[in-house]
Amino acid sequence: MSDVRSDDAGRGDPAADAADEAGDDPDSDVPPHRAVPRSGRLDSEQRQGTPYTESQVIMPTVKIVAPFAFTYGLFITFHGSGSPGGGFQGGAIVAAVVFMIAFAFGIEPTRDWLANTVVVALAVGGTLAFAGIGLIPVARGGAFLQYDLLPIPVKYGLESVEIFGIAAIVSGVLMGLFFLLANGFNSDGSGFGDADGDGTEDDDDADVADPDTSDANRTAAADGGAR
Amino acid sequence: MTGSGLLAASAAPLTAPVVAQVTAIEASLLAFVVLTGLATALARDVLAAVIVFGAYSLGMAALYTFYRAPDVALTEAAISAGVTTVLLLLTLAKTTRIDHEDVFESVNVPAVGAVGLLFVGLLLTMGDVPAIGSPDAPVWSNPEVSQWYLAETYAQTGVDNTVMGVLAAFRGFDTFGEAVVVFAGGIAALIVLHREVFA
Repeated sequence: MSDVRSDDAGRGDPAADAADEAGDDPDSDVPPHRAVPRSGRLDSEQRQGTPYTESQVIMPTVKIVAPFAFTYGLFITFHGSGSPGGGFQGGAIVAAVVFMIAFAFGIEPTRDWLANTVVVALAVGGTLAFAGIGLIPVARGGAFLQYDLLPIPVKYGLESVEIFGIAAIVSGVLMGLFFLLANGFNSDGSGFGDADGDGTEDDDDADVADPDTSDANRTAAADGGAR
Repeated sequence: MTGSGLLAASAAPLTAPVVAQVTAIEASLLAFVVLTGLATALARDVLAAVIVFGAYSLGMAALYTFYRAPDVALTEAAISAGVTTVLLLLTLAKTTRIDHEDVFESVNVPAVGAVGLLFVGLLLTMGDVPAIGSPDAPVWSNPEVSQWYLAETYAQTGVDNTVMGVLAAFRGFDTFGEAVVVFAGGIAALIVLHREVFA
């Protein structure tokens, strides 16, 4: 780290260095391990909204490509027993289609369109489906995932694990990670209330109130819009 | 490619063992992967490093395809080249990106020396690794295990894709654990980022 900084100083313009050292740099209070915001770049404090550029090239391209990519993801998932692929790869491709749509049409509209209930239902439902398919043979006196005790042929047992279990989990968790990262770290502690413990309980409650109600309203609106 | 085609392609070297040569396409792909890997390590701009890393993953996916591992290639292309690149770009968009004058990072000599020593150490072990398609490879010299799966997967599960048969049936409990790990990863991200809802 020290090498890099010394190289920077060596290569920099001497006049600019002198100006920096003269003390007129407004960012001189930034600690040395943090990046100093330059011209044309926004600091992360100012950039908490998700960046989006409406492009006349990206939007039609995604409109054309997304149905085919989604179908390909479903094919990889459903045809995993007869060709390379399976639930993991197909679920990732399906999630990538959602990423594509979010990049083209904005993350926030995509977040509203794809409600939190869908993402959670995919992740949780997939895990429960996998466990349920595995436990049915146990209930019938066999071993975990003993496919020949399922009421369906063995091949369909494997495929149902891939489709309803793995593909659902992977696509749901990947979409969830995407939306989570787009939201960023909840630095005001409104996610957990007093989890960060940097304020009094009254302050935390006040912090909690607004985002929670807005979240509830937004989710309800998204659900109403979807149904 | 059907499952029977997979079986035939995999079983062919057993009857007629041929030590495969590195073709021109494979050599160029290997060079591409090495160059993009170096560029990822040396790029000064983080955005450039992320983009070049996506190209590296794409090269690895093509390489896996040439080495007849299409399942691994699909996973590498979808997860590493696609999803990881998008998540890293999203993270960059949420943080500060610094303007850089020069393209490449200044080389840290001790770090390069340490990596070079590790590289040489790994290179010394390459003499014991069997060549691609070599009959001395453990997968062929001890064929009971691999050939049993290749022969029995279709008979026992009715699934053509041996990889999926092994993953979902013969090692089904492992796969269940892996799926739960993916689910737990999503939950852990919620906790780390102090959120209660995904979307």
